[in-house]
Amino acid sequence: MEYTPEVVRRFESPRRAGELRAGLPGLVSGEAEDRTLQVWVRFQLQVIDGAVRAARFAAFGCPHTIAAAGYAAEWVEGRLASDIGRLDIRQVESELGVPIEKRGKLLRIEDALAACGRALNKDVRKD
Amino acid sequence: MSAEIYLDYAATSPLDPAVAAAMSDCLAHEFGNPSSQHAAGKRARALVEAARGEVAARVGAPSERIFFTSGATEANNLALKGSLARRGARTHLVTSTIEHRSVLDAARALEEAGVAVTYVPADSLGRVAPDDVARALRADTALVSIMHVNNETGVIQDVDAIGALCRARGVPLHVDAAQSVGKVPLDLGASPVAICSLTAHKVCGPKGVGALYVAAGVSLAPQMHGGEQEHGLRAGTIATHQVVGMGKAYALADAAREGPVLGALRDSLWRRLAAAVPGARLNGDPDRRAPHVLNVTFPGVEGESLRLALRDLAVSAGSACAADSPEASHVLTGMGLSDALAASSLRFSVGRFTTEAEIERAAERVAAEVDRLRALAAGSPAWCST
Repeated sequence: MEYTPEVVRRFESPRRAGELRAGLPGLVSGEAEDRTLQVWVRFQLQVIDGAVRAARFAAFGCPHTIAAAGYAAEWVEGRLASDIGRLDIRQVESELGVPIEKRGKLLRIEDALAACGRALNKDVRKD
Repeated sequence: MSAEIYLDYAATSPLDPAVAAAMSDCLAHEFGNPSSQHAAGKRARALVEAARGEVAARVGAPSERIFFTSGATEANNLALKGSLARRGARTHLVTSTIEHRSVLDAARALEEAGVAVTYVPADSLGRVAPDDVARALRADTALVSIMHVNNETGVIQDVDAIGALCRARGVPLHVDAAQSVGKVPLDLGASPVAICSLTAHKVCGPKGVGALYVAAGVSLAPQMHGGEQEHGLRAGTIATHQVVGMGKAYALADAAREGPVLGALRDSLWRRLAAAVPGARLNGDPDRRAPHVLNVTFPGVEGESLRLALRDLAVSAGSACAADSPEASHVLTGMGLSDALAASSLRFSVGRFTTEAEIERAAERVAAEVDRLRALAAGSPAWCST
């Protein structure tokens, strides 16, 4: 398997990896997995006043998955909560140089962000 | 990044300088065709026969029962296909599920040609039980093929017991011993093994040359045609310099001398890994394995990521990883490991030029990267580590 320098950089030094402090206001999380593809991704977002103030990710998966999850965490930070589900994984593939055969894994990143969106809507309805 | 640490001797090994010198001398001075009757040919023939003698001596076989090939893959193909072609109404082959691909793929090719094949499974320690092989034998079994040292786990199969059971039923046993020479003693002349595949490049010899031992009275059909070389078993001009290299490599490959040194290095690596990596698991029978191979599972880390993280170490995956759908090692899954655990496994293999300093550095690197990747996957579900 060949890896682009961008994938290697993000794999070796992933930004926004880890967890947000428990109990932070506006904290939501969402995760997705595909056991047959050996991939699991979780995002934690802090959403304040309809905007994502902070994002963190955790991932079990291939280097492309880890690099793309880090990219997605950076992408979502600062965006409106209503945009959480609008990450285009094809754009991520293109920017990082991820081979097409990894798309099945990377789609779990979209799914995990979508799960965050659902969790946020649930919290809003509860409020 | 620091210089690569080479711990993949089970894949191939660097050429020993003494082997390189012997080959170079041959290439420079002895270009004759060993089949020619003139002086240049006779000198080349003498070199080939001297090398044959070295190979034969190392494996305890008569010289005239050693036939040179292009490597163990060709030898395995010749053993399986050549045997089935000569066994008349016997059209059944017995092998195991954990063989090298050169045996399994040859067996599948034979299946496509109408041969019935029984694949005997291994147990959780990677052992093929002789009784299981005996139970698989049929009246029409033409050949049993069981490897000596497994290339992924280093587990040594009890080929003497299997061979004795086969001999009692009149079935020849083929053994793939590509990983054995220089690591564990081989005494084919005193064993019930009928056919045995050998290679040079795992013991600091050249790639592209191997040999097949065929016991007296065992008949194989040649799989290449075009000459009477190697007593008609393997057509084609003998690559004298390659054969000379194999002979020199086998002369140097003394299991009694090198085995304990390799075993100490392997054990040091395992002790360091077991101490530094919580949950690290040894794969294969700890009491019955060759001294140069260490296969370890690191639960909770994804295999492809582990390999990229450790690209400064030349090690092999316990699995072949396809791009989108990880294909777990057939050996490790055959021993009962889940796909996730099989993919999280690495094979380390030490050799003649491995140093303790390299072992120490490798263990540190593995521990650091496993720790980092586990932290990245904190909170992951149980299937990622079971």
